[in-house]
Amino acid sequence: MSCGFEEDLTAYVDGELPPARRVEVEAHLGTCAGCRATHALLGNAVARLAELPAFEPSPHTRRAVLAKLDALPMPWWERLKVLLRPAVLVPSAGLAAALAVALLMAGPGVDAPPELADPAVMELAANLEVAEDYELLGLDSAEDLEVVANLHELEEMP
Amino acid sequence: MSAVDVDSDAQAMLKVAAGDRQAFAWLFDRYHASVARFAFRFVGDRERAEELTQDIFVKLYRHAGAYKPSARFKTFLFRVATNHCLNEVRRGEYRVSHTSSESPEGEETGAVEMAGPEGDRPDQALAGRELERAVGAALSDMSARERAAFTMCRFEGMAYRDIAEALEASEAAVKSLIHRATLAVARRIEELQAGAAPARSRA
Repeated sequence: MSCGFEEDLTAYVDGELPPARRVEVEAHLGTCAGCRATHALLGNAVARLAELPAFEPSPHTRRAVLAKLDALPMPWWERLKVLLRPAVLVPSAGLAAALAVALLMAGPGVDAPPELADPAVMELAANLEVAEDYELLGLDSAEDLEVVANLHELEEMP
Repeated sequence: MSAVDVDSDAQAMLKVAAGDRQAFAWLFDRYHASVARFAFRFVGDRERAEELTQDIFVKLYRHAGAYKPSARFKTFLFRVATNHCLNEVRRGEYRVSHTSSESPEGEETGAVEMAGPEGDRPDQALAGRELERAVGAALSDMSARERAAFTMCRFEGMAYRDIAEALEASEAAVKSLIHRATLAVARRIEELQAGAAPARSRA
């Protein structure tokens, strides 16, 4: 059957048509035997579908999902929380500060031009600047440093 | 869904984004049956539906940060569920197995394993299984998007507007998908009621 109203019949059965279009469809049904037959067919199907038993998921699903969550690698924000714990942060901050002072004492004098500065000192200073953005002075490993260095990027992720 | 529900769902999801497992468990308890029904109608197999449901909720937890409270939580959840099911079917991990109208006797799919209400007479149970098979056969012939739209509409009672949001489609497109799908199911049911042999699957 090819009728301009046919595609609206399911939406009509579902109560999804705007009021004006609903009135038009009702008027059309009074004049079109083909659409009346299709309307009856659709209405019968919707009623029969309600007879189908609902699918009930297994009671084990919840446990399985929670176990899968336990097996997930720790997300970056959880790792950051660990790094920000006072027990980690305070001793690391002290160590980093001591290291920075020691390197500065061993390096060129304060009057030395920047181009003569030790590259290792410059790298440390750059890293400390990144860490200070997050009030994070203690880094235990290169991996931790990578996490902090990429925090801006991670925060922008959807 | 009431405004209160939307608010509590959204609040729970924001807590999940902050790593709150209790909030996740609350949302899981509230919605996992809906997701399982959707997955079951999508793939037509009980075990696969269970696996998909688990994967969808793990994905929901992992990508909780992508949720914006402006979107209805259920719509967001069904978008995740639809995308996951579509991807799995595309990857060939799951084949839609609503082949019950053509299955040999005794080789029943998950669709016909579901028991009806206790106390059903044998003839009622048989009629229920035949109806399930007819619907399953129609679902297996549909495109994935038709199946998704039909399932959300008929088995979850979702409004066309919400389905459009979940499928990232226009409401006009959803209306068309649901009409084609419902008409296909209606014809299968008509054949069943007429006692005619169900038409063979085109796929």
